[in-house]
Amino acid sequence: MHGEYKTPGGKLVQIDLDVVEGHLRNVRVTGDFFLEPPEALDVIAGALEGAPADASEEELAHRIARALAGFPGRVELLGFSPEAVARAARRALS
Amino acid sequence: MSELARWRKYRWQLISGEAFDPAMQMALDEVLTYRVGRGERPPTVRFWEWTAPAVVIGRFQSLRNEVDLEEANRHGITVVRRITGGGAMLTEPGRVITYSIYAPPELVAGMSFQESYAFLDAWVVEALRALGIDAWYQPINDITSANGKIGGAAQARRHGAVLHHTTMAYDIDPEKVPRVIRIGREKLSDKGVRSAERRVAPLRQQTNLPRETIQEFLIRTFAERHGLEEGTLRPDEIDEARELVRTKFGTWEWTAILP
Repeated sequence: MHGEYKTPGGKLVQIDLDVVEGHLRNVRVTGDFFLEPPEALDVIAGALEGAPADASEEELAHRIARALAGFPGRVELLGFSPEAVARAARRALS
Repeated sequence: MSELARWRKYRWQLISGEAFDPAMQMALDEVLTYRVGRGERPPTVRFWEWTAPAVVIGRFQSLRNEVDLEEANRHGITVVRRITGGGAMLTEPGRVITYSIYAPPELVAGMSFQESYAFLDAWVVEALRALGIDAWYQPINDITSANGKIGGAAQARRHGAVLHHTTMAYDIDPEKVPRVIRIGREKLSDKGVRSAERRVAPLRQQTNLPRETIQEFLIRTFAERHGLEEGTLRPDEIDEARELVRTKFGTWEWTAILP
């Protein structure tokens, strides 16, 4: 499944994922956003891995924000946000 | 500290002239960022010359979502992935102006990432205005004008340095871009009418000046504003970049790291 969301005045987030037995699997987050350090991309996608397919946009955004807060060192997102990724994921799921 | 005082704290070195293939350009950016970060070379600005056309995709873009690989092949266009985020662009020898700034992080200390984009390209906007173009910085990372978009920048903070590179259209064929670069549907919906909003206004059309004249004027503007000394790539820097092409930038593993 594929979903996209572009933050107004910002960048495009694209999500590809599968749903296996009601949970998100094989989550891939891509787009023309800026992210430092680049390794944080795996943290963002990993935060959605295993999430219930019926999780709300807020719940998905919270999972991402929490995972990023646990990342060692400072993470900078420019042109997108946990909420933007969550919205793209919800669009993929609907 | 004023903007100019920030720039003038450093002895800037210029690299320009020699042309490289697309993968080598990516590798040189990594090598020079690393070297400036370790204090092995002074803060540097490099103007690129291309030997071959390329589609350069951003660090976080999906290769197949962005590029029609068959179409790129048919046109003899190499596809490479850079270490900075941002969007895909088409470059062709003599048809773009590209430069990289390799700077100590202190140059942009206290600025947000978004502020640093405008700061690091301010001399270019100034130069374009002096050439008679009604140009301005469009956050996050675009140089634009009354006639349309001119170029875009991307940054990475790695290895103790800031890499900021910008590509401007000099004479890009607007028909060719959508043939090899796919543009997301969502992106179009936000920007409204594509032909109007995303219109590119290449520098040639806006100035009638040769590419070299514009590039020389940009270099002179940088030099007068910030100070600039002639420099060259060292043989060991070129060797290191060639090795990085072999192990990273020239490999499918890297280009398709996000397939």
